[in-house]
Amino acid sequence: MHFTSRFRGSVAIMVLTVTTLTMILGACDRQAEEPFPSNPITLVVNWPAGGGMDRIGRVIAEYARRRLDVPIAVINVSGAGGASGVRHVADSDPDGYTVGILGASLVASQYINPNANAIDDIDLIALVGPDPAALEVRSDSGINSLAEYVQRAQSNPRSIKNGNDAPGGVSHIAATLLERSANIELTLVPYRGYAPTVAAILSGEIQSSTLPVHQLIEQHKAGEVNILGVMSEERHFMAPDIPTFKEQGIDLVAGDWRAIFLPNGVPDDHRAFLEALFLETLNDPDFQAAAEQLSFFITPMTAADTKRFVEAFDQELYPVLLEAGLVRARHK
Amino acid sequence: MALAILLPVTYAMSPIAAMVFLMAVFSASVFGGSISAILINIPGTPGAIVTQLEGYAMTCRGKASEALTYSLFSSTIGGIIGLIILMLVAPIVAGAAMQFRSPEFTMATVFGLTMLAYSTPGSTFRGVLSGAVGLLCGMVGFDLVTDVSRFDFGTSALQSGIELVPLTVGLFGLAEVLRGVENNTTQTDRTPPLKALTPSFAQLKRLWKTILRGSALGAIVGAIPAAGSAIAVAVSYAQEKRLSKRADEFGTGVPEGLAGPEAANNACVGGALVPLMTLGIPGDTMTAVLMGALLIHGLRPGPLLFTERPDFVATVYVALFLALLLTFVLGFLLIRHFVRLMRTPSHILLIIIALLCVVGAFAIRNNVTDVYIMIAFGVIGYVMNKLEIPVAPLAFGLILGPILEENLRRSLIISDGSWMVFIERPIALTMLLLSLGALFYPFLRNPGKLLSINQ
Repeated sequence: MHFTSRFRGSVAIMVLTVTTLTMILGACDRQAEEPFPSNPITLVVNWPAGGGMDRIGRVIAEYARRRLDVPIAVINVSGAGGASGVRHVADSDPDGYTVGILGASLVASQYINPNANAIDDIDLIALVGPDPAALEVRSDSGINSLAEYVQRAQSNPRSIKNGNDAPGGVSHIAATLLERSANIELTLVPYRGYAPTVAAILSGEIQSSTLPVHQLIEQHKAGEVNILGVMSEERHFMAPDIPTFKEQGIDLVAGDWRAIFLPNGVPDDHRAFLEALFLETLNDPDFQAAAEQLSFFITPMTAADTKRFVEAFDQELYPVLLEAGLVRARHK
Repeated sequence: MALAILLPVTYAMSPIAAMVFLMAVFSASVFGGSISAILINIPGTPGAIVTQLEGYAMTCRGKASEALTYSLFSSTIGGIIGLIILMLVAPIVAGAAMQFRSPEFTMATVFGLTMLAYSTPGSTFRGVLSGAVGLLCGMVGFDLVTDVSRFDFGTSALQSGIELVPLTVGLFGLAEVLRGVENNTTQTDRTPPLKALTPSFAQLKRLWKTILRGSALGAIVGAIPAAGSAIAVAVSYAQEKRLSKRADEFGTGVPEGLAGPEAANNACVGGALVPLMTLGIPGDTMTAVLMGALLIHGLRPGPLLFTERPDFVATVYVALFLALLLTFVLGFLLIRHFVRLMRTPSHILLIIIALLCVVGAFAIRNNVTDVYIMIAFGVIGYVMNKLEIPVAPLAFGLILGPILEENLRRSLIISDGSWMVFIERPIALTMLLLSLGALFYPFLRNPGKLLSINQ
């Protein structure tokens, strides 16, 4: 191979640019300065743009920014079922300038995925609210109530095909919990995310699904789908006519939730500032109205309460995952 | 990609303005993806993945502006036909699309892979080899059915799987940069004077059948949730090659091979909006982002959208039409300038392309791992090119592999393990027979040909 000098030069410059750029992107250093915050804050969303986590993350950033002199930049770091974004925050400099938002996938991931962070690897500072699962059936299935659904499933085990996430995903766990608490057996059919599950119940490939209420509320109104019950403590504000599972005699609360977190080791004053900032934002009536418009339940909790909440969730989930053979990475 | 980056910009807009903006981005980005495919061999969108087979070949022969004009012309017509189908027969198309369940998806993917093997230029065996490597790449990361991470070599870097963008940017873009450095050719030498290179109207008119076929195919395949434009362009390209009298010349810059897929990927825009508007189901990643935008503005697409918000539906139609029109006008005015970019001295151009490769790979998930993956595939693409193994099948394998595996396994879960589902369902059976026909037809016609490895 013979290079002219101009080309040897361009090779060198090209290699240099690629490596420099890679290094800049990889390092992402930020110096800590007083007073806090004097630099832009980054909010890391662990799912892609346009999804539920992204929407709520951006509304929170929007309303939190109004209480600050610095901007809040939202970035999406997605992959590995939400674990990539959590790791991105957990491994960032603990200076308070990197904040993350995550959901219930954190708890399942730590047992399923050896490379995912455990709950102890991060510092939860506020709970945003729950996103309860519900049970939906096709209208043409002839099932009009939860009792009928349970009866159908008991008289003919595994005959009902339920659409849900891959094992360990939120709607899969909801379906597994439904099987346990109602003492029924379903055929669990995995889909990659909520949208394909919605498509499958509308095409008739599956008879029921365990998606959150807002995924199928329009189809419920149009009479294509019946929502039989909501897996929450209280009724969902988008569907006040639909009873909870508890009201119908099945003790089942399941679904997703969302929380804001920091890497471990953020200085106490920065941490206290951020906890107060996000609690005030989440309690802001204007923010709550905006979030409700986007179909989100907002029930703010302090850092201490959030930790208790997530620990209780962990305690409840572990035996379910163990039984489903999903505890692979670490044991309790 | 463009849609995901620009989505946050719309949060402050009024719902209607946001919708017009996003429809324009959605529609224009399809042609935008083809520009980079034609000029620098990097497909900007999954739908542009066969565009470069003919388009870049034309650029290398100094016919860049001709290729861009063909692309713009067929894109616009394809987009308008897709829009007309969306406006007139959306409910019917949606009903037909809902006939597609897991067994149909499985067989549609098998059909797509068969078409791919058929349309690969040169040795079929090398094409199939490359496609198989692509299928394998598609298996990296978390498995849907068991949620076990596969082929990750114990690192979290590969757990999220190999994204299409870093792979194609590396395989096509960076590999091309490496070749450019080695060959010591300057783009200036390859770009003859600009005049008299746009095709005449008669030349464009000759393509009308190709464009119509591509458009119809794109609109229908686009409407099937999860099928996406990549399958549409693969089938369109294979079909044009099959129907062409010059099938042997495909891969060297045949206008039909460019116009068909270009019409198809633009018609897909209208098609992909069908399930979103009528059923509330986003069919691909682009419409998923669009659905997110609608939700942010308090609009919940679903079966009641047409009766409750006719104003909104009308806005989408008009916005899409205006976007197509503006893309055409802007494209027409800018083509000569795009081509002039190619006259940049190559030692500068190659550096810019290398930079764009890094930024593009990083931006897709804000993840530096994707940059390493891009560089790795850049080297792989370069080596494959030296060995004369076609790289396009690898990208196709990556797109189709996960769809095939996921739907095959889900079909079997639903059927309790019975393979009869693929035979009992008419659409699935038809596609299975078509695939078998395409596979064995050349063998029956000429048994010796299949056995010769080097064509």
